[in-house]
Amino acid sequence: MKKKHLLFATGLTIITSILLYFLLTAIYRLPTSASAEAGPIDQLFHIHFGFIAFFFSLIMVFVVYAALVFRRRPDDETDGPHIHGHTGLEITWTVIPVIIVLGLGVYGTNVLVDITAPQPNEMVVKVHARQWSWSFEYPDYENISSAELILPANQPIRLEMDSEDVIHSFWVPEFRVKQDVVPGRTTILRFTPTQAGDYKVRCAEICGKQHANMLAPVKVLSDQEFTAWVDERLAQPLFAELTPEERGEIWYSAEGFGCAACHSVDGTQIVGPTWLGLFGREEQMDDGSTIVVDETYLRESILNPNAKIVSGFNANIMPPNYEQRFAEKQAEILAAEGVEIDIVEDLIAYIKTLNE
Amino acid sequence: MSAVTTHHDAHGHEVPYEVQLRSNRLGLWLFCFSEVFLFLALLVARFYLWGNTRPELSQVLGLLTTSILLVSSFFMNRAETAIAHGDRKTFLNGLLITALLGTLFFVGVVVMEWNVFGLELELFGVEWFGHLRPTDGVFGGVFFAMTGMHALHVLSGIVFILIVWANGRKGHFSPERHWGVEACAIYWHYVDVVWVFFYPALYLIGHVA
Amino acid sequence: MKALWYFLTSSFTRGLIGQAIFTAIGMTFVNAIRSVMGLEANAEPGVVFGALLGVFGFLLGAGVLTDWIKWIFGKETPLRHGPPQGKPEWTRYLNVDYNHKVIGIQYGYTSLLVLLVGGLFALIFRIELAQPGMTLLTNDQYNTLFSAHGIVMITAMLLGVGAMVNYLVPLMIGAADMAFPRLNAFSYWVGIPAVVLILAGMVVGGWDTGWVGYAPLTFRAPLGVQLFLLGFYVNGFSSIAGSINLIVTVATMRAKGMTLFRMPIFVWAAIAAAIIQMTATQTVGVALLMNVTERAIGLSFFNPANGGDPLLYQHLFWFYSHPVVYLFILPGLGVISELLPVFSRKPLFGYKWIALSSLGIALVGFLVWAHHMFVAGLDNSLRIPFMISTLFVAVPTGVKFFSWVGTIWEGKISLETPMLFVLGAISVFLIGGVTGPILGTIPTDMHLHDTYWVVGHFHATMFGGFIFPFFAAIYYWYPKITGRMYKESLGKLHFWLMVPGFWVMSLGQMATGIMGMRRRIADYDPALGVQNIHVLITLAAFVIGWSVLIMVYNLVSSARSQELADPNPWRSRSPEWQIPSPVPEFNYDVPFEVVGDPYDYGLSGVAYIRMAPASGD
Ligand code: HEA
Ligand code: HEA
Ligand code: HEC
Ligand code: CUA
Ligand SMILES: [Cu+2]
Repeated sequence: MKKKHLLFATGLTIITSILLYFLLTAIYRLPTSASAEAGPIDQLFHIHFGFIAFFFSLIMVFVVYAALVFRRRPDDETDGPHIHGHTGLEITWTVIPVIIVLGLGVYGTNVLVDITAPQPNEMVVKVHARQWSWSFEYPDYENISSAELILPANQPIRLEMDSEDVIHSFWVPEFRVKQDVVPGRTTILRFTPTQAGDYKVRCAEICGKQHANMLAPVKVLSDQEFTAWVDERLAQPLFAELTPEERGEIWYSAEGFGCAACHSVDGTQIVGPTWLGLFGREEQMDDGSTIVVDETYLRESILNPNAKIVSGFNANIMPPNYEQRFAEKQAEILAAEGVEIDIVEDLIAYIKTLNE
Repeated sequence: MSAVTTHHDAHGHEVPYEVQLRSNRLGLWLFCFSEVFLFLALLVARFYLWGNTRPELSQVLGLLTTSILLVSSFFMNRAETAIAHGDRKTFLNGLLITALLGTLFFVGVVVMEWNVFGLELELFGVEWFGHLRPTDGVFGGVFFAMTGMHALHVLSGIVFILIVWANGRKGHFSPERHWGVEACAIYWHYVDVVWVFFYPALYLIGHVA
Repeated sequence: MKALWYFLTSSFTRGLIGQAIFTAIGMTFVNAIRSVMGLEANAEPGVVFGALLGVFGFLLGAGVLTDWIKWIFGKETPLRHGPPQGKPEWTRYLNVDYNHKVIGIQYGYTSLLVLLVGGLFALIFRIELAQPGMTLLTNDQYNTLFSAHGIVMITAMLLGVGAMVNYLVPLMIGAADMAFPRLNAFSYWVGIPAVVLILAGMVVGGWDTGWVGYAPLTFRAPLGVQLFLLGFYVNGFSSIAGSINLIVTVATMRAKGMTLFRMPIFVWAAIAAAIIQMTATQTVGVALLMNVTERAIGLSFFNPANGGDPLLYQHLFWFYSHPVVYLFILPGLGVISELLPVFSRKPLFGYKWIALSSLGIALVGFLVWAHHMFVAGLDNSLRIPFMISTLFVAVPTGVKFFSWVGTIWEGKISLETPMLFVLGAISVFLIGGVTGPILGTIPTDMHLHDTYWVVGHFHATMFGGFIFPFFAAIYYWYPKITGRMYKESLGKLHFWLMVPGFWVMSLGQMATGIMGMRRRIADYDPALGVQNIHVLITLAAFVIGWSVLIMVYNLVSSARSQELADPNPWRSRSPEWQIPSPVPEFNYDVPFEVVGDPYDYGLSGVAYIRMAPASGD
């Protein structure tokens, strides 16, 4: 009698485990796997799904079985059998999970060590994150900088990531791996994209107002396409050869300093005031005063954004450290091209073009 | 919706003094234990952020304040023993001396080390007022957080002592019943012991950066 | 009219007025000093100081501190007050009262209220998420709502734990009250200004950091973040005072003969939870204070721009906030263990194992915090040990599950509402639990971290470990508290709405997460293909919302209209069911003595307790 119930429930457990496993893989659909790391990680996922299915079935089959089969008859006032426990059983269901979790731990460690191990022929890409845009730099190719992450397929990549303000997180779901980008330190992420195609970097750490929209395109290309892209980028004119307005537009984009994350040039308000028609506009300030936007004011607003706050916007949003970052970039250009440029001037020149 | 019925006579439900005393003692010790985690967290922050370095601080001042605080514990102990033996005078004096030394310590930290009034004084080749500001990077931050949190405890300890003293003068404590004194003493010793850990962490460990 | 007057003069109203006045005083004071010192205009230090002083003002106004202030002047104060004289009974629940049952109920209704508010926030932002694009809210509003939802719900759970522990533990161990009734009142009342601060934070600009408040984002968030951090901090006083009180009560006030392994199992769970609360809360307090001061007055801890380190905040924060999730569930699991024997008419299977596994969970829980930081930039050498320790939590938790199965197997099971919620809790907590190890293994967490998988995981654990057991407890002890029976049919309806609602919500969240849905985003990429699932989640959320409203209606209406309940409707052996309902003011007229084991169902003629004969000497 007792045995019968146990056998029955055990049989049911096995059946539901299998069913549940397939159900789980049906509703929990991993995105396509587009990196070498996705292989072992997905395998680990499926092992976990197996355990989830098994342990969930094990407990729930017995619970539901008991609730249905051992129901109290309405007139039955007697108690159930007086069983206090069973030390052997308790030890069993302590030891077996210990073994399982140790196994999972060792397996997980192996996978982790595997996917984080340095590769001999890594290509380094520097990733800069900021509220709310990404830019990428290729030290192996004369520091090309780009607002899109362009990668050759089957090439081990090492990302060296830093953040200019708050914590962000680099994640491309198809690559599976994720790594926070923490201000004040450089974090490393390794992976090898395998499938050519278009993906997106999705910032996975809350980083303020526009966190939801902090995306950047990722393109995985074949070797030839990648070389072609690099050549195209290298053939682009030097900064010295561009007009200030053209340079200003680059600085404005995510590839430059990412002003575009907060300032539109088409009149919409994102986080900061739009730049459309900014020059010469009469701007109302927080403290009630008004200011006609001229070069001096623009320079101050860019280098010391908290000095005057435009009414209707918040202080402490716009990064206060552009002066230093511009200086670094200017020094870099000076070293590479031998010309001195003033990024603020470029930006002001660009802003002036936005008045038609 | 009456969740609690009939008002029984509270009499007979009073907790006996011995039981309450046991509870009080345990409660206070648990509180001290709980606060260990507060101070530990501060120490963790110190070692995490400073590592093997420390800011430049006046060693003489640090040693002096530390000694004062340690000595105060002795008087506190004397006060407690005195009330247990019914020696009211030593008891009250002990409390006052403790509070005085505690205040000296407090002044040493807050007025001199923190230098809230921005003073300057050099005597015997020693700078008597600190120059570290709270906004001086992580040195300032951690130093002010640790000393500030401790000073807050010292301050509350002094207030506690003064309350016990005032009530003691009114004759509130007896050799048999003086939980308030005991609690005050335990708390004071505890705050002292915390400083015994803070002092080396702030003044001694690591090299000056 | 009279009722309004009682309300306006209650501790509650007086507290709020006190809080307003003292906040204003604090702000003026700091700003005056700053202007005298000629410091630049910066409202924040004033706000921070005002907020803290306001909490003091609340306590003063509410009258929580009155007795202690009298002590300072050497006056003795009576401890036992009894019901209010010349006022209706219900006013008791709006005023400072030292009786643990009153405080327990105060915690309880506040918890439910706060839960409704937090749930309302969720419903609002769920509407936004039902379709891609910004439809109803702005980004700022969305961020504020989900952040507030998180912290408000966590407060609701802290209050709910307080409710169960306060009402039940003294009754179960045969004490007349907690060890420190005044401190007990303090623990409850200090939670109210904390909630007020958090809600006020939503008004003064809101904040966008989530409930974790990571630096350095906090330094760039709107002003509301300060009030949120302070509210969170002030909540800590409640936790610490309450937990110390509880441990002392159990240590010193147990009935004669109640050895540790003869306590009702819930008491074990309460102790394990209290150990977490008493210790870990301090570290989060430090973390939050550092965050507040760094932002307000420029001390440096976390901002790399000034030499700080953002990861230090995360370590200090999770050293509390991981254990705290076990604090939420341990009392809930205690309720499950407490109710299963009653409704299965069988002894609790493996009492000692269950009791010790609570301690095991609590203690191992201290060693796993960095699993929230697996991708934060830690070395492999650091995160691998944390992966192993995290996985180990499955072991004591598993012991509980298996022992529960052992308890109901071959029992005589009856499925009244409390038992339904207990079984629901088991299934829901199970799915939450078994979706934990996949997060605990680093390679899979690299995909799942900060996705809706995590959201699904923790809603399942918190619903299964807290919400369902809490509701079970409410239904189960309702006749004890009010003396009347709730409406069984409405209780069942509540259950059968909430269970499918929950499953759709939680499984849906996990599914979208694995497909690439990030957490804490106001808007999502339609290309992910998650929109349909989001619609389902939103619908499910409303089903849950309705079901909870049904419970609230049931509780309120049954308190008046239902027939009087049997003193022991569940035929329980537990001591609190051996006395009349509602429980007398001082619980047991005569002390009882423990003479047997608590869960000896199926053994006739053995009692758990014996009421001591009135002492004749
Ligand atoms: C009540 C709350 C609660 C509970 C009980 C748990 C329980 C567990 N949690 Fe969860 N967790 C949260 C609440 C909770 N969690 C919250 C709120 C967050 C998000 C915080 C935030 O970022 O906002 C979170 C996030 C979180 C993370 C971080 C995810 C990320 O952000 O990347 C991780 C990673 O390891 C994790 C793991 C676990 C594990 C291993 C358990 C284990 O305790 C589960 C153990 C239980 C079982 C395993 C089931 C029963 C066992 C058996 C049947 C035995 C046999 C089983 C096996 C051998 C597998 N949780
Ligand atoms: C106890 C804890 C708890 C509970 C019960 C819930 C309940 C719910 N939660 Fe929440 N949730 C959290 C704790 C909890 N949550 C935490 C900690 C976070 C993380 C926050 C962060 O990321 O920082 C979170 C985050 C979170 C998210 C992720 C947000 C994001 O990352 O962008 C989502 C999204 O679906 C969600 C949904 C829901 C829903 C639909 C419910 C439903 O169950 C709600 C059901 C509704 C009710 C219970 C209310 C019924 C009331 C009424 C109908 C009106 C009556 C009103 C009044 C009288 C005032 N929650
Ligand atoms: C993270 C968001 C953010 C970024 C990135 C950002 N800004 Fe701003 N900016 C703001 C906000 C918010 C304001 C309005 C508040 C103020 O006046 O400081 C503002 C104001 C300004 C103003 C004044 C506009 C007016 O209407 O008076 C100028 C000019 C400006 N920014 C230039 C820049 C430049 C140049 C960059 C990039 C190099 C940049 N901003 C990047 C958020 C940002
Ligand atoms: Cu950057 Cu989120
Ligand atoms: Cu955790």
